[in-house]
Amino acid sequence: MDPTLNNPAPTWLLPHSTAPERERSYLTVQQVGKTYATRNGDVHAVERADFDIDEGDFVSLVGPSGCGKSTLMSMIGGLELPSAGRIAVDGHAVDGPRRDFGYVFQDATLLPWKSVMDNVLFPIRTQKRVLADHRPEAERLLKLTGLWDFRDKRPAELSGGMRQRVAICRGLANDPRLLLMDEPFSALDAITRDDMNLMLAQLWDQVHKTAVFITHSIREAVFLSDRVLVMNARPSRIVADIRVPFERPRRAQMQEHPLFNEICAFVREKIHEGHDSRRPGNR
Amino acid sequence: MNGAGPLQRIGLPLAFAVGTLVLWEIVVRAFGIREVLLPTPSAIAQRLVETFPLLMQHAWPTVWESVAGFAIASLLGVALAALLSASGLMRSMLYPNVVLFQLIPKIALAPLFIVWLGIGFQSRLTFSVFISFFPVVIAALAGLDHVDRSLLRLCRALTASSWQVFVSVRLPHALPYVFSGMKIATTFAIIGVIVGEFITSQAGLGYLILFASSQADTSLILAAITVLCVFGLGFYGIVALLERWTRHAFGA
Repeated sequence: MDPTLNNPAPTWLLPHSTAPERERSYLTVQQVGKTYATRNGDVHAVERADFDIDEGDFVSLVGPSGCGKSTLMSMIGGLELPSAGRIAVDGHAVDGPRRDFGYVFQDATLLPWKSVMDNVLFPIRTQKRVLADHRPEAERLLKLTGLWDFRDKRPAELSGGMRQRVAICRGLANDPRLLLMDEPFSALDAITRDDMNLMLAQLWDQVHKTAVFITHSIREAVFLSDRVLVMNARPSRIVADIRVPFERPRRAQMQEHPLFNEICAFVREKIHEGHDSRRPGNR
Repeated sequence: MNGAGPLQRIGLPLAFAVGTLVLWEIVVRAFGIREVLLPTPSAIAQRLVETFPLLMQHAWPTVWESVAGFAIASLLGVALAALLSASGLMRSMLYPNVVLFQLIPKIALAPLFIVWLGIGFQSRLTFSVFISFFPVVIAALAGLDHVDRSLLRLCRALTASSWQVFVSVRLPHALPYVFSGMKIATTFAIIGVIVGEFITSQAGLGYLILFASSQADTSLILAAITVLCVFGLGFYGIVALLERWTRHAFGA
């Protein structure tokens, strides 16, 4: 069952990080927990999340729905504050949204009355940056994502996949150090989603950003990421930390590689492991 | 709309209206109903042509007071809605009272405005503002409030100020709502002015209607009402066009 059970641990499975390394990482998530008070008592959305992210890594958080991965991302992005522990960038606690972060949400959340280009430039205008400094990058992103010919269109004239591509361009428009993506493709159909994965992998060959990517699709996580953090529900915690041993550029064929499937199987195993043992009474 | 062609959509109601007028004409002539009770449409049309300069002279104060009342009500309405949407404290304090006021038959308060502001245009204008203001507040507030929560989260992520959120997200989103409130306000603004003119005035279509009724000049009453209808229709039409345009430009 567990591929690690009989064999020595695979090289792509990382040990839990140790204290001295922490000082050097870009983003530190230290013993972070989030508890919501509800009418039926406290709900622990996230418990003791503990990991670091290095600059330049594309890191996925993958887990079942309700495992608290979106809450964890909100906390990394400063949209929510942890009830326990600490999240820091370059050693400074994240206590609110940061102008050097980019955000992509589950819905494209575009302004319906603005053109594609104006939506991409929305963060620039909102953050009162100099438009001329960022317009070339916005144009490059629209070209890289195949949206250039649609730059004057309204969101309503675009398909769901295109809208989400606009949202990704917008997230990258202010040249963030970290791009946070919260299940950006989960509302799309399977075929569009495959296209989006390829698009994002190719985009990453060009933009080389640090990214945190939330998904419940195991294959998507492994295909896109340099590193995959596997989360479990109730208690919500990280159960595996994987360094994906595939070079970039990533191509679609990677998904037929035995090692790719081995890693996916391992992640699936890890997710189900937690699920089964935690729900003995379930029918 | 509901699958009906333009002939059915426009032609049918038009044919019905013309048919009604023709029937009206026939019934009045056939039964010999006296003109003071119910003049024929043709008699009304004739009176309208005869008294056209008089009608226009009286239409002017009604028109400008309604349009001004409507404009002020729209501005105040959006401003109050913005205040209520921006401040939780203001909303808790004022919104229930706004709703309560909405329920009052406001026409009953018209004489009070005469007492307070005299018999000049000020009282009519103020009363017109007063009754046409509420639909705008309610609609604008709905528009400002019903912004997609994920858009607000995006704004927060981008460290947008409340003012930026208002100007670049809430207000554009609310515009189509504001205009549908303003459509209702056009009618209310005219009602406000006419009621004011009924109570006390030396000019205006409301005054003319009252005057004609004292002379038992039913044709003139109906001619004045026809002018009012045309004005109301045009006024509403312009705002409805603006609404369509904002829906196209700002709607989702």
